[in-house]
Amino acid sequence: MAQLPISGWSVRILRGKVGFFDNIIYGFQVTFQPINFLFCGIGVLVGTLVGVLPGIGPAGAMALLLPATFKFSPTSTLILLAGIYYGVQYGGSTTSILVNIPGEASSVITCLDGYQMARQGRAGPALGIAAWGSFIAGTIANMGLVLVAVPLARAALRFGPPEYFALMCTGLVIVTYLAQGSILKAIMMALVGIILGSIGLDIITGLPRFTFGINELTDGVGIIPLVMGLFGISEIFVNLEESLEREIFKTRIKNLWPSLKDWAQAKWAIVRGSIIGFLLGILPGGGAVIATFVAYAVEKKVAKEPQRFGKGAIEGVAAPESANNAAAGGSLIPLLSLGIPPNPIMAIFFSALIIHGIQPGPLLIKQHPDLFWGLVASLYLGNFLLLILNLPLISMWVKVLEIPYKLLFPLILLFCLIGAYSMNNVVFDLYVMIFFGVVGWIMRKFGYEGAPLILAYVLGPMLENALRQSLLISQGSFMIFITRPISAIALGIAFLLLLSNLFPYFKKQREKYEEFKE
Amino acid sequence: MKTLDQTSSLFWLLVSISVFVESLRLGIGTLKNPGMGFLTFGASGILGILSFVLFLKASFKKEEVKTAPLFTGQLWKRILFILIVLILYSRMMSVLGYLISTFLLMTALFWILERKKIVFVFVSSILTTLFTYFVFSKWLNCQFPDGLFGF
Repeated sequence: MAQLPISGWSVRILRGKVGFFDNIIYGFQVTFQPINFLFCGIGVLVGTLVGVLPGIGPAGAMALLLPATFKFSPTSTLILLAGIYYGVQYGGSTTSILVNIPGEASSVITCLDGYQMARQGRAGPALGIAAWGSFIAGTIANMGLVLVAVPLARAALRFGPPEYFALMCTGLVIVTYLAQGSILKAIMMALVGIILGSIGLDIITGLPRFTFGINELTDGVGIIPLVMGLFGISEIFVNLEESLEREIFKTRIKNLWPSLKDWAQAKWAIVRGSIIGFLLGILPGGGAVIATFVAYAVEKKVAKEPQRFGKGAIEGVAAPESANNAAAGGSLIPLLSLGIPPNPIMAIFFSALIIHGIQPGPLLIKQHPDLFWGLVASLYLGNFLLLILNLPLISMWVKVLEIPYKLLFPLILLFCLIGAYSMNNVVFDLYVMIFFGVVGWIMRKFGYEGAPLILAYVLGPMLENALRQSLLISQGSFMIFITRPISAIALGIAFLLLLSNLFPYFKKQREKYEEFKE
Repeated sequence: MKTLDQTSSLFWLLVSISVFVESLRLGIGTLKNPGMGFLTFGASGILGILSFVLFLKASFKKEEVKTAPLFTGQLWKRILFILIVLILYSRMMSVLGYLISTFLLMTALFWILERKKIVFVFVSSILTTLFTYFVFSKWLNCQFPDGLFGF
């Protein structure tokens, strides 16, 4: 798709004649275009559905819908994907509270107190505070996104290949550091991701490498079949190995509006969860999952009666549910301002932009203000839609939960197959997806994670490009990474993080964190 | 976990050696002018070292050897069956076309878990096939293969 021409509005932004509120109004004008409004609504509904259903995560859902967006504008596509992303965060809480089964990994911690609240006949306030917390956190994250992304993008205009190389290295190190299992295995997966990302034509010489004579591999391994295989198909296999029956806790859902007492208990949890979620969302590999664990741990630490946690404390629902939504907003910052996706979901966003002919990076906000401000405004709108649509629709989501998995899994499998095929209309992609489905399933059994692999796979070609360009500039001297302050600081952080694994204190802290998660 | 780590580390060691050799064949170039295999040379080298470290760590771990097999019970056979069905589907799609191959796929998938309800299996398969065909092919303009029969 051809790039949009720089509009008169962009020229005014470039000249600094457009203020913050003008931009927001412009964003709402973009979002309220019928097609974008429709995509926002579809996104949050599909996202909630995906969050409620086990077996197909946000990455899979986005990958599935991505080919269907080819004939629409990049702005509409991004609005749809963003809707799915934070819709999932909301939808996951419904299953955590009512079934004690998290629809998504970012809702695991909500089970602890959410389900207990449901058992005590307080499913309504639990769902209500989850929805309100998500809404407030989403709003705070949007504000943070605008405040941080624009100046960061401006600063990033001064970055060269060494800075990008260093930032990407740091990102990958943080991803492996924050991995849920073994760091060693996470680093190994990141290296495998880099190798996978190098399959196809070499960026500089244009010659094929690691294609083994297979013509279809000259374009590289497609991200959609890779993501669908590693996350979608492997998840189905894992579910199929277990019993397919699940029990839904029967309760009357009433009082969805939390009481004043509930609000008094939850208000600071929402604020703290939002801030933690937003900050951890920016970090590479942080994302929504870790944000929920940290937010819950902080609430328990600051609570006057920590013993209430795990027994139906409303703060135990408010904090993680706020954190996961805020993280969704925060994780857009590195992507939109630096062009570096911080987690696998953002890698799908990244691919969507590339497919639509837009290069994510510091120039994105200036060259495509409709996309950036439209997306920001759609986040506000999406959060509002989630609130007004989902609270009345909770009984419908409960009905969805009652659909047996044995009926769902063939449909999810078919959707994955259609998603993988329709990207390039090539049967080879189906084989790639099935192959990585098996690889992902076996990786789970052996304790390897898919997230570092996906992120390194996306960053790999950019990392290689930046490294080779840097070495060409410096005439083969690695000192270029040390003599430039930003890259020196970024690499220093990465080095310290790697080194910290050797120190007993950090090792103990990490062990505690893993124990807490278990 | 000990045996699993030992096995997986040996697998990654083999992968790293293969990539390392191929990177050398592609040419790593010089520092002034890095070649096609430069990054993968480094990545596979580190992967090999880390695989070896994992192997050593697993070997010296004081843990009882896990005796339970990795794939237990009857359920993994269900996955094997699904895998075969998926590969057959991928193979047959361009020959039989989307409608017929998807109908057969859905029949097989529904049949795995609902063996007794034949009518249900057929009706669900037909409905799913037609629904996805109209949504993705007619509405969203996805290009499915027509196959030998032209539909």
